[in-house]
Amino acid sequence: MWLEIILCFIATASFAVIFNVPARLVWIGGCIGIASWYSYSFLPILGVIPVFAAASAAFIAAFLSHLLARFLHVPVTTFAIPGVIPLVPGGRAYSTMLAFVEEDYLNGLERGIETILQAGAIAAGMVFALSIFSIRRGVAQRYETNRS
Amino acid sequence: MGKTEKAIEVCLFAGKLMIKYGAETYRVEDTMQRMGEAAGMKNVHTFVTTTGIFFSCQTEQEEDLMQMIRVDQRFQDLNKVTEVNQVSREFVWGDVSLVDAKKRLIEISEAPMNYPIWFIYLASGVAGAAFSYLMGGSVVDMGPAFIGGLITILSLVFLQRYIQGKFFSEFLAAFLGGVTALLLVHIGIGTNIDQVIIGSMIPLVPGIPITNSVRDLMSGDLVAGVSRGAEAAITSLSIAAGVALALSLFLT
Repeated sequence: MWLEIILCFIATASFAVIFNVPARLVWIGGCIGIASWYSYSFLPILGVIPVFAAASAAFIAAFLSHLLARFLHVPVTTFAIPGVIPLVPGGRAYSTMLAFVEEDYLNGLERGIETILQAGAIAAGMVFALSIFSIRRGVAQRYETNRS
Repeated sequence: MGKTEKAIEVCLFAGKLMIKYGAETYRVEDTMQRMGEAAGMKNVHTFVTTTGIFFSCQTEQEEDLMQMIRVDQRFQDLNKVTEVNQVSREFVWGDVSLVDAKKRLIEISEAPMNYPIWFIYLASGVAGAAFSYLMGGSVVDMGPAFIGGLITILSLVFLQRYIQGKFFSEFLAAFLGGVTALLLVHIGIGTNIDQVIIGSMIPLVPGIPITNSVRDLMSGDLVAGVSRGAEAAITSLSIAAGVALALSLFLT
């Protein structure tokens, strides 16, 4: 348990270093990574399906990133990119590719759809957090209702 | 050169730096717009894509000006994005003059990365090791995943000096990392080949294109969002192809 928390922090913080995040902000990225990883691995225990767990975890990571970015006056990307990285479906993408290499196309398609769904869920979670923080600044709506 | 031309030059330079080091499109457009208005231009319009920036405005004498700048290279350096953001903020508030802002932008563009390159290699190895534990939960595989991640990022940085195609060097780096992981497990260091390979590939994940593509598409910058999404998709596919080649050479 503690080992996992420490390793999750180290993994996210080293990702922040890979993306050249300023040194004073690296530890915040690590903490956001812990939050997103824990909500991603804890929610399925409560009976939530993995895709929804990924969406919620991405939402939590993006929400925290937007909040802290607004508070510290830095671009939100500095926190959002390392925070979302633990959710990247690397394992599923790998098993997709392994199945295709072994010519097990049916299994590969199944895993591939899981991968795409998880990636879409991460995007959905991020978009949800973004739309909370951009209320009253909407773009590209369908009708011009502001004309009288 | 008139005052407005100088201001346009600074705006375009700030925008080029931001897009080059991995900022979102809406942030670049917003920054350039605010800087232009702070410098006294009227009717400011910006159009930013992943590979080029257009900027048009009207001077105080109602003369229309339009410039574009091309962005050839893109790196991942969020520290520089943060610094340019800070400069533009101070310029808009009026704390920094146009000349000083230009000087500071030139300093930012000429500065080295804020971490030495060996530290980034080390971080890639550590990230690989930590992720292989998170994915599978065995401590034994952390050592080979560290070496695999290190080899992957070393070969990526080495190959990018000699190969023009970004995707081909990613493909070769993934192949070399995969071969390293397979060899290490074959000679008995590490037990679970899947975890070691996932850990080795982690430094190649296109984090900035994926996140920015979602962000751009949602804020209505469709051209930039689609092009970044294509970049992310091709990078992921070239990583997958590199690992697939390594696996099919060694597993059969």
